[in-house]
Amino acid sequence: MGPRILLIEDDGRLAEMVSEYLGEAGFRVAVAAEGRAGLERLTREPYDALVLDLMLPDMDGLEVCRQLRLKSDIPVLMLTARGEAMDRVVGLEIGADDYLPKPFEPRELLARLRAILRRRQPGGPGNALRFGRLEIDRDARVARLDGAERGLTGHQFTLLVALAEKAGRVLSRNALMDLVKGEPLDAFDRSIDVHISRIRAAIEDDPKRPRRILTVRGAGYVFAKQQD
Amino acid sequence: MRRLYLRIYLAVLVSLAVFAVCSGLVWRQFGDAGPAGHAFEVAATLAQNILPAAGAPKAEQQAALEKLAGNLRADVALFAADRSLLATVGEQLTLPSAGRDRGGWLRHWGNAPAGTIHLPDGRWLVARVPRDRWHPGFPLFFPLVPIAFAVGVGAYPVVRRLTARLERLQAGVESLGAGDLSARVKVEGHDEVARLAESFNRAAGRIEELVGAHKSLLAHASHELRTPLTRIRMAVELMKESADSKRKRDVEQGIAELDALIDEILLASRLDVVKGREADEEVDLLALASEECSRYEEAELEGQPITVRGDPRLLRRMMRNLLENARRHGAPPIEVRVSRAAGTAEIRVSDHGPGIPDAEREDVFRPFRRFAGARDNPGGGLGLALVRQIARRHGGDARYLRREPSGSCFVASLDASAPDNAS
Repeated sequence: MGPRILLIEDDGRLAEMVSEYLGEAGFRVAVAAEGRAGLERLTREPYDALVLDLMLPDMDGLEVCRQLRLKSDIPVLMLTARGEAMDRVVGLEIGADDYLPKPFEPRELLARLRAILRRRQPGGPGNALRFGRLEIDRDARVARLDGAERGLTGHQFTLLVALAEKAGRVLSRNALMDLVKGEPLDAFDRSIDVHISRIRAAIEDDPKRPRRILTVRGAGYVFAKQQD
Repeated sequence: MRRLYLRIYLAVLVSLAVFAVCSGLVWRQFGDAGPAGHAFEVAATLAQNILPAAGAPKAEQQAALEKLAGNLRADVALFAADRSLLATVGEQLTLPSAGRDRGGWLRHWGNAPAGTIHLPDGRWLVARVPRDRWHPGFPLFFPLVPIAFAVGVGAYPVVRRLTARLERLQAGVESLGAGDLSARVKVEGHDEVARLAESFNRAAGRIEELVGAHKSLLAHASHELRTPLTRIRMAVELMKESADSKRKRDVEQGIAELDALIDEILLASRLDVVKGREADEEVDLLALASEECSRYEEAELEGQPITVRGDPRLLRRMMRNLLENARRHGAPPIEVRVSRAAGTAEIRVSDHGPGIPDAEREDVFRPFRRFAGARDNPGGGLGLALVRQIARRHGGDARYLRREPSGSCFVASLDASAPDNAS
C-alpha cells in the first residue's frame, strides 16, 4: 500500500492529472477543491502528506497551513506560482516542508513528495540539501536523483557536499582542497578533476553537458543553484 | 530665503515699514492742509491782534515781537507784505518762497521745521521752536512704536500657522512619493489650503486603490496563468511513449517559453510598482553567468570572480535575457565576459550576428519593440528593456556596442563598490 496523499487544488482538471500521475507512481491520492473541505478531511482521515495549492477559492493556502499546524505535523508540499518570493518565504515559515513553483516538472513533484515523506520517517534525512530533482542527504551520506540513490564514493560525496554547500559561488581547485582538507590528501590531489567527472557521471542527466557542476575556465567549479 | 513662512513674514514687516515711511511723507507734504491749515488761519488772526498795526514804527513791532518770542520760547521773525524784514528775535529765519500765499510748515534740511503764519493784513510771521526742544509730532511716536511691534509680533503666528499647514501637506506628498500609499493629510479650515489637502487625499486614495488593484492583478495573474500551463505540462508527461517524442519536446519548449514570457511581463509590472530591491544579497556574478551559460551550447564564458550585492532573481533574469537575445537575434558563438572596471562589474555578451543599425541602438531597450526581420523570431520584445531596468536598479546601466567587424555586444554594468570588491 502506497502513501496516502491529500491534494488540495481548486483546478479540477489539474487535480485529476496530478492524481493520475502520482497514482501511477504508487501513491493513493484524494482531492479536495477547497481549503475548508481539505482541513475537514485531514481531521477525519489519516494522510501521509499534503500537497497544497497556494490560491484557493475560500481561503489561501497559507491560512490552511497555519490552521493545520495547530493540530498536525503532517508533511506539507506547497504549490506556488513562480516569482511569488514572499509566499515561498512565508509558506516555509508557517510550517510548509517544501514548495514547488508552477509550472513544475512532474518528476520534480514526485521527487519532492518522496523527499518530504522520507524526512518524516524515523531515521529519515533531517539534514538534506535539495536542488530541483537532486537531493543530497548529509546524514545518510547519499545523493538521490528523482528519489533514486546514485553511487558515489565517500570522497566523492564529501566533494559534492563541499560544492553544494557553496552553491552559486565559483570555487577554485585550491578552495575546494581547503574545504575537503580533513580528508586523506591522496584522495584530493590533482585528481580533483577526475573526481568531478565521476560525480557528474552519477548526478548529471547528460555528463557531457553538465547543469549541476559547471566548469568555469581559468577559475574553477560552480555548483549551480538553479538546476532544473 | 528657502522658508516660505519667513518670506511671507518678511513681506509683512516690509509692508509695515513702507506704510510708515509713506505715511510720514504724506504727513510732511500735506500735514498742514485741511484742519491743520485752519489752525494756522486762527493763529494768524490772533497774532495780528497781538502785534501792532502794519504801519506802526519798526521799534514798536520789534518790542511786540520780543514779547511774543519770550512767551513762545522760540525764534520769531516778522516780514512786511512786500516780504521785507520788519523785526526778528533769535536766529535768523527765512520767508516762505514767493509762490506761497498761506501759512504752514517750512522745512529746511538739518533744521527744525518753522511755522509760517500769513496775517490778514499781508504780513508774515515766522516762528521756529529751537532744536533743543522735541518736534511737536514726537509724542505720536510713542503709541505708534508698540502698535507696530504688536502688529509685527502678531503677524508671525498667523503666517507660521498658514505655512505649517502647507508644510504638513508637503510632508504628506513626500510620504506618498516615497511609497507610503496610505499617507493622508489632516484637512484644516475651509480655505484654499484645506481644499488642496482634500484634493491630495482624494488623489492619494485613488492611487492606493489603483496600485492595490495592480498588485492584486499581478498576484492572481501569475497563479491563474501558470495553473493551465502546469496542466499542459502534466498532460504531456501523461502521454508517455505513445506520443511523438519530438512533438512532446516542442510542447515542453512552448510551455517553457510561455512561462518565461509570463515571468517577464509580471516582472516588468512588478518593477514598475515596487521601488527598490525586494532581495539584497551577495551574488557571485561569474558563477551566475556560468549557470546561465550552461543552458546554451553556443555560449563561451570567461572572466574573473566578482561579487555584487543585489537581487539574485533579477540578476539571473538579466543574464538569461542577454543570452537569449544573443541566441535569437545574433549568431554563434556567444561570447560572455564578466569583468571589473572602476567600482563596477561588467557583463559583456557578444555575438556574431548582423548587429543593429546605429539609429536603432537605443530603441532595442524599449519594451515590445520589434524590428524588421525579427518577426520570425519568438520573444516578447521585453527582454532588453528588463535588462536595462534591472541594471539601473543595481546602480548601473545597459548599453549596446557595435562589434567589429560584425555582430552585437551588449554591456550591462552594475555597481560593485561593496567593500569586498575593493581588492
